[in-house]
Amino acid sequence: MAGLSLRNVRKTYTDGTDVIHGIDLEVQDGEFLVFVGPSGCGKSTLLRMIAGLEDITGGDILIGGERINDVEPSRRGVAMVFQSYALYPHMTVAENMGFALKLAGESRDAIGAAVGRAAEILQISHLLDKRPKTLSGGQRQRVAIGRAIVRKPRVFLFDEPLSNLDAALRVQMRIELARLHGEIGNTMIYVTHDQVEAMTLGDRIALFNAGRIEQVGRPLDLYERPASRFVAGFLGSPRMNFLRCEPAPSASTGSLRLRLGDAGEISLNRPVGAAVPVALGVRPEHISLTRTGDGLRARVELLEHLGDSVIMYASLAGQRDPVAVRLSAHPDGLEPGATVGLLPQAEHVAIFDAAGRAMSSA
Amino acid sequence: MALPVSPPPDPDQDAALASRGAGDGLAEGTTNVPASTSLIAEDLASPTPQHSGAVARPAAASRRRLTMRKAAPYLFISPFFILFLVFGLFPLLFSIYVSFFQWDAATGLGGMEWVGIDNYAFVLMQDDWFHKSLYNTAWMGIAGGLPQHLVALPLAFFLHTAFGRWRNTFVGIYFLPFITSTVAISLVFTSLFSREFGVVNAMLGALLHLENIDWWQPQYSKTMISFVVWWRYVGFNTVLYLSAIQTIPRDLFEAAIMDGASRWQQFRHITLPMLKPMIYFAVTLTIIGSLQLFEEPFVLTAASAGDGRMSGSGGIDQAGKSAAMHVFTTGFGENDFGTASAVAWILFMIIALMTMLNNRLLGRDTEGR
Repeated sequence: MAGLSLRNVRKTYTDGTDVIHGIDLEVQDGEFLVFVGPSGCGKSTLLRMIAGLEDITGGDILIGGERINDVEPSRRGVAMVFQSYALYPHMTVAENMGFALKLAGESRDAIGAAVGRAAEILQISHLLDKRPKTLSGGQRQRVAIGRAIVRKPRVFLFDEPLSNLDAALRVQMRIELARLHGEIGNTMIYVTHDQVEAMTLGDRIALFNAGRIEQVGRPLDLYERPASRFVAGFLGSPRMNFLRCEPAPSASTGSLRLRLGDAGEISLNRPVGAAVPVALGVRPEHISLTRTGDGLRARVELLEHLGDSVIMYASLAGQRDPVAVRLSAHPDGLEPGATVGLLPQAEHVAIFDAAGRAMSSA
Repeated sequence: MALPVSPPPDPDQDAALASRGAGDGLAEGTTNVPASTSLIAEDLASPTPQHSGAVARPAAASRRRLTMRKAAPYLFISPFFILFLVFGLFPLLFSIYVSFFQWDAATGLGGMEWVGIDNYAFVLMQDDWFHKSLYNTAWMGIAGGLPQHLVALPLAFFLHTAFGRWRNTFVGIYFLPFITSTVAISLVFTSLFSREFGVVNAMLGALLHLENIDWWQPQYSKTMISFVVWWRYVGFNTVLYLSAIQTIPRDLFEAAIMDGASRWQQFRHITLPMLKPMIYFAVTLTIIGSLQLFEEPFVLTAASAGDGRMSGSGGIDQAGKSAAMHVFTTGFGENDFGTASAVAWILFMIIALMTMLNNRLLGRDTEGR
C-alpha cells in the first residue's frame, strides 16, 4: 500500500493536442479518490498514464515516493479494472485471475491460494471453473476486480467499472466496492462520469474539466462550496439553477443586493466584493415557495412527481432557462400556469463572476 | 401474388391496377413504389378512349407490360443460373455418372461402356501414378501449406503491432502475389530457379557455397513448387489473420500488459487463442487449396519438358505431379474420362475427410469463447 503523487503531469499527443495540462495531486495512502468529469476531460487518460498504458509527456508520477514514469506497467504496483472487464475469453475465471502470477512464474500452489483468497473476498469461489462468457455482467465485474486483487497492488485503478451494468446492479456493486475498500484498505483511484458514484464512493473527489482539475475535496465540500460554476453545475441532480443577475443600484447598506431581471431582487447577507457577480447559483432544494408578491415572480411550467418529492419547473421573467425547485410535497392548487413567488435561501446561494469563479461563498 | 386478369372496364382503372400490380411484383420490400408506378399510370391514362372499341387495346398492352414486369427480374438473374447449370451443375452430376463408365470422349455418347466401380477400384488399387501424385500432393501441401501459417501468424501480429499508418500498404504488398496470374508467377520463378543463371542458385552459392542445383531434378522439384505455393499464399493468410487480430479488443492486450505479459506472451496467451476460429478457417482453405493444387506445378514442370509446351506433366519421374494434374492428364491426355472422373471424386472424398479431421482438431472449441 502506498500513496500516489502527481507533479505537474502533462500529456500531449503526437499530433500536438494537449489533453492534460499540468496536474498536481496528492493521494493519501488508503484513500479512495474519484476522478469525475464529463467525457473527454482527460480523467481516463490520466488514469491510463498512472497505469503505464499511456506515455507521460511531462511531470512526475510517484507511487510510495518512487518515481514510476519509466517503470513497466506490471512493475508499478498498480492493477487496473477495465470498463469492458477485459477478461480473457479463452481462460477460466481462475486462469483469468491467476494469469499475472503465472506470468510472474509463481508456483501452481501459490497461484491457487491467492486466487482462492480473492475469490472468497468477492464470493465467486463457485465460478472459478467457468468461462467468462457464461457469467452475468455483475459476476464478470467481480472477476475483473478479483484479477486485480490477486496481484496485491499498492494502488487499484478503476476505469468506469460500473458503466456496463444495469442500474440496479450498479447500486449493488457500488455498495460492494465501498465494502471492499473498507476491507482491504488499499489506495484506490476510480474514474467515472457518474456524479452519484463520485459522491457516494469517494473519500475525496477530483473534478476534471478540459484536462485540468477544477476542484479537489470531500464530496460534500464540492457540493456545498463549489469553486466554480462548472463544479456547481456538474454535481447535483437536477443541476443547480443559474440565474443571470447584476448588482442592484440601491446597494447602500454594505450587504450585497442582486437584481434578477424583471423577476425581482434578492438580498444576500454578505459584503459587496470587488468583482461584479453575473450569475447566481441556487440548488433546487434551496428554493422555497412563497406567496405571489414575495420573492421572485415566477410562472409554473411543469411539475414532475418523483414519488418522494416534486420537481417544479418555473420560468422567471428575463431568465432563459426555467428554474427547477424541489418540493417535498405537492402544494394544493399548484398547477402549470399558476404564478408563484420563489425564495432562494440566501445562506445556500452561490454567486459567480464573469469567469465562472465562485465569489466568497456562504 | 395473384394479379387480376379480367379486362377492366376503363383505362383509368386499369392504370390503377397496373400500378398496384407493379408494386406487388417488383418493388416488394422497397419504399419508392409510388414514384415509379405513377409514371405508368399517367402513361396509360393519357389517351382517353373515344368509344368502347378502343378499350381492349390499352388493356391488352398493359397486360403485356405486367407480364414483362413480372418476368424481368428473373430474366436479369438468369445468366448466372443458366451458366451455372450448363458449366457447373451438369458437369458435376455428369462426372458422377461417367465415373461408372469406360468412355473415350472421341467415340461420342454411344461409346460409353458400363463398368460399375471398376474405375474406382483401379484408381485405388492399381493406379501407381495416382498414388504417386497423391503422395506428391500431400508432400507439397505440408511443405507449402504449413509454413504459410507459421509465417503468416507472427507476421500479422508484427504488422498489427509495429505499423500504424503504413500497415495497409505493407498488407497490400504481401497480398499482391495472391491476385497475380499463376502463369506469370510461375514463369518468373522458372527463371529465378534456373540452374545456370537463376538468382536462387546464385544466392545459395554465395551464402552457403552450394553447387548449382538443378531444381527440376525429382529430389528438388517438390521443394521448388512448395516454395512458390508458400510465397503466393502467405500474404493471403496474413490478411486473414490480420483482420482477425484487429477484431481482438485492445483492452485484452492492455490487461495482459498490466499483468506483465511480454510481446511474445501476449502473442502466445492472447492473440493465438483468440485467433483459433480464424486459424480453423484459414487451415481449411489451405487444405482444400493444397489438395486441388494444379496451376503452379502444371506451369513450373512444363519448363522441364523443354519442348516449348506450356503444359507440364509433372516433371522428371512425375515428381512434381499433383493429384489434380493426374485428373487432367488422365482425362485430357489419355482421353479416359471415366477414370479421370473417378479420381476427381476420390479426391473430393479425401478433401471432405481432411476437412472433417481439421474440424475435429481445430474447429471444436471455436465456440468456446
